[in-house]
Amino acid sequence: MDTLTFIVSLLYQYADTLALLLLAAIGLIVIFGMMGVINMANGEMMMIGAYITSFSYYAGIPTPLAVIFGGLGAGLVGIVIELLIIRRFYGQLLASLVATWGLSLIMSQGAYLLLGPLIKSVPTPFGSFGVGDLSFSYYRIFIFAMGLALVAAVWALFAFSRFGLHARATMEDPSMARALGVDVKRIYSLTFGLGTGLAGVAGGLLALTSTIGPFYGQTYTPQAFITVVVGGGAEIVSGLLASALSLGLVKTVVMNQVNILLGHVAMLVFALVVIRMMPSGISDWVERRRSQGRRA
Amino acid sequence: MLPLARLIDRALGPVNGPLETGRSPPFWLIFLGVVAVLVIAPSFLSRYELLNFSNFLTNIFLALGLCLIWGYAGILSLGQSAFLGLGGYAYGVVGINLIEAHGNTWLALLAGLGFPVLVAALLGWIMFYARLKGVYVAILMLVVTLLIETFLNQTAGQGWSIGLAHLGGNNGLGRFSGVIREPPSLTLGFSADAMMIFGGKTRAFYYLIVGLGVVSYLGLRALVNSRLGHVLVAIREDPDRTETLGYDVRRLQLGVFCLSALLASLSGILYVSWGNFITPNVFGVYYNILPVIWVAVAGRKSLTATVLGAVFLVWLSQKLAIQGDIAFVVLGFILLGGMMLLPEGVITGIGERIGRLFDRLGIGAATRGGRHGG
Amino acid sequence: MAAEPLLETRAVSKRFGGVQAVSEVSLKLAPGELRCIIGPNGAGKSTLFKLLLGSIAPDEGTIHFQGRDVTRLQPHERAHLGIGVKFQNLAVYNALTVRHNLLLPLRHQFGSREVEDEIARLLARLNLVGTEDRLVGSLAHGQKQWLAIGMALAMRPKLLLLDEPTAGMGTEESSATGALIQAVTAEGVGAIVVEHDMAFVRELKAPVTVLHYGRVFAEGSFAAIEAHEEVRRIYLGAARSERPRRLRNRQP
Repeated sequence: MDTLTFIVSLLYQYADTLALLLLAAIGLIVIFGMMGVINMANGEMMMIGAYITSFSYYAGIPTPLAVIFGGLGAGLVGIVIELLIIRRFYGQLLASLVATWGLSLIMSQGAYLLLGPLIKSVPTPFGSFGVGDLSFSYYRIFIFAMGLALVAAVWALFAFSRFGLHARATMEDPSMARALGVDVKRIYSLTFGLGTGLAGVAGGLLALTSTIGPFYGQTYTPQAFITVVVGGGAEIVSGLLASALSLGLVKTVVMNQVNILLGHVAMLVFALVVIRMMPSGISDWVERRRSQGRRA
Repeated sequence: MLPLARLIDRALGPVNGPLETGRSPPFWLIFLGVVAVLVIAPSFLSRYELLNFSNFLTNIFLALGLCLIWGYAGILSLGQSAFLGLGGYAYGVVGINLIEAHGNTWLALLAGLGFPVLVAALLGWIMFYARLKGVYVAILMLVVTLLIETFLNQTAGQGWSIGLAHLGGNNGLGRFSGVIREPPSLTLGFSADAMMIFGGKTRAFYYLIVGLGVVSYLGLRALVNSRLGHVLVAIREDPDRTETLGYDVRRLQLGVFCLSALLASLSGILYVSWGNFITPNVFGVYYNILPVIWVAVAGRKSLTATVLGAVFLVWLSQKLAIQGDIAFVVLGFILLGGMMLLPEGVITGIGERIGRLFDRLGIGAATRGGRHGG
Repeated sequence: MAAEPLLETRAVSKRFGGVQAVSEVSLKLAPGELRCIIGPNGAGKSTLFKLLLGSIAPDEGTIHFQGRDVTRLQPHERAHLGIGVKFQNLAVYNALTVRHNLLLPLRHQFGSREVEDEIARLLARLNLVGTEDRLVGSLAHGQKQWLAIGMALAMRPKLLLLDEPTAGMGTEESSATGALIQAVTAEGVGAIVVEHDMAFVRELKAPVTVLHYGRVFAEGSFAAIEAHEEVRRIYLGAARSERPRRLRNRQP
């Protein structure tokens, strides 16, 4: 393999890894960052997004629209879950975590009982291109771009919209926000729906690259959780980006040199080192280095 | 108060205390009755029923360990079965290698108990000394166990042997891997001609589990009602506050986490001794959600409820498993419904109501207002 | 220079992300001295409090307690040196009895015989006689606050750190708490009170340190601080709109 091919393939792998981390974690980290709740059914939300995408596609709906339907469907399911379940556990983080784990069990096993171990997968669009003697998929590059676009959209939503303003006020101090006339309960419902909707879109996008079954979303669980552990506790977007960029680099290098399993193990080891060295999170650490640099 | 009741109250001092449900004389009478039934059970259970019942009981230690860290110390681990699996694998691998040369499994037992505790100590040192928040500890443990599962599933190739033990990929250690060497049952004794072999079908195994179960249960009751137990509850309620009262919260969290890993590893060793096999499944999502279901649904703040819940729910899932794939959906509903309707646990809720009834009848008065611990 | 200070911070700084929470704060406290720390929301009061008790370590600067550098010591180590803490929230253990709450700090220092006398002494001092075997969850709000102060006192501290000791109390309870704090300092215990309620600060008649944007903005007697034009502007003005219980009067 010549140098150019090696570099292109490494960059391609990095982009691909980043896309997986961002898409697997974005819904989880939005809900966690805003509400402090870990949604253990995040993988099942991805599964729902993927299922709706597949069903829509085979009902003759164009692929992009099918993915959007997947996101909307998962978002609606999320809002219902918030109203029926999550609402009961405000302020009890471990209890909400356990309750959503039960939900995850019901949804994945329920889908297995009702719809069987596999549903029809959706073909990967766009075809491929070659560099040297290797071929790369355009769609993989497209979902990398979509991962970044979703992060940017979340950032814009929280930075500029009325919903974002109210959501940030709620996150800062719920009782203060309530006193200022924000409908805090509605914000929580919408935030949870936004998170599950993002997981649904992510599930739909990734569904075009793999087989789809009831436990499809669960395969992303370790990566999604590691991303949250490394990036959590900070501001949502910067935390997610810092976490995905660093974890992606670690995984890509190890995966390229050894194998994908060790890539995952390396991410875990990296996360443990980050926890031990920078208890307040990686983006806080980066921020501190930067401001010290400015002062020096 | 009757002198006898006072005597019993005195004798039960160390295990009786405000931090456990079930401390009235009627409770202890029932407890003695249950132990008596357990002791004579082999005489009326069929061979198959005894084998099956022994299997249920192996889970008790895993459940007690989770109850201790979650219910009393406030640390939730979603990957508690990792320690069960590591204990089982470590015991199995050492056992396969040494059983013929040594004729016993003492070293395997030591490895099975020691290895998970070492792993727990390392992870705990990282997590607790970094003052990691509870939700992170919970999900990090799940990540750890899922990665171990992925790793072990890849060990089917010939290269993956430790001495005589072949890891066997998703077939695990034991008869399904097509390798003749399977992990031995616990073989304990002090001379070659007086070895006790605790195979799953033996009464010896059953009595070993019942004995260990009773000792662990009473020992943990004494622990949670001791001075240390109060400190653990204080840490659960408010770790920052507890530090300013002069307690090294990180060290205590690490210690209790290691103890829970020890208990889980005991379940793992007994599981291997019972069936002479173990597969990477024990590291998977389902094996890890089960203990959480038992403890959450039964009542995480009570060791008694946890034991009863674990045995009942394991029995229930086996009954359901016969019906097909519906078992996990039902368990999911039990967990979700339990959390929503009786967040402190179903058995704890019922137990408290019975306790209040006894109080009203004046029966439980013997232990009220007594001074415990100290 | 007179006797060695009980507590001394030297140019202590702490940053969170891009925010400078505490900036080069230097304080000195003599044994038996009472000091109030005030400042608007976000002035760095609670960060300074955490730095003093040890739950976070400063980025720069040092903290000395009785001449010993305690900057890197953990809260439990500082507790054993004689720093007692009462947090702002109701930091008592609702699941345990009053007696067991008090036993947690007392057990470090007393055998089983003396501990009973010490509990009786504390209960009397805290007006909690007769509540001994009740679960703390069943106590009234003011009683819980007193128990929290009592647990800090049970450590036999040389320095008391109190974060809003009268939060949620009525006027009478507040005065009694003020009297208790003054009585304790009269026995030679140094005390730092982080406070939001200016009426209570006035009542304590103690020197005041004003924090603003993480820096020491002004220091002096309460009268001097109250008369300080700039302090009135930043603190008293801000406090009016930030006290949640005054939000009722907020104009739409």
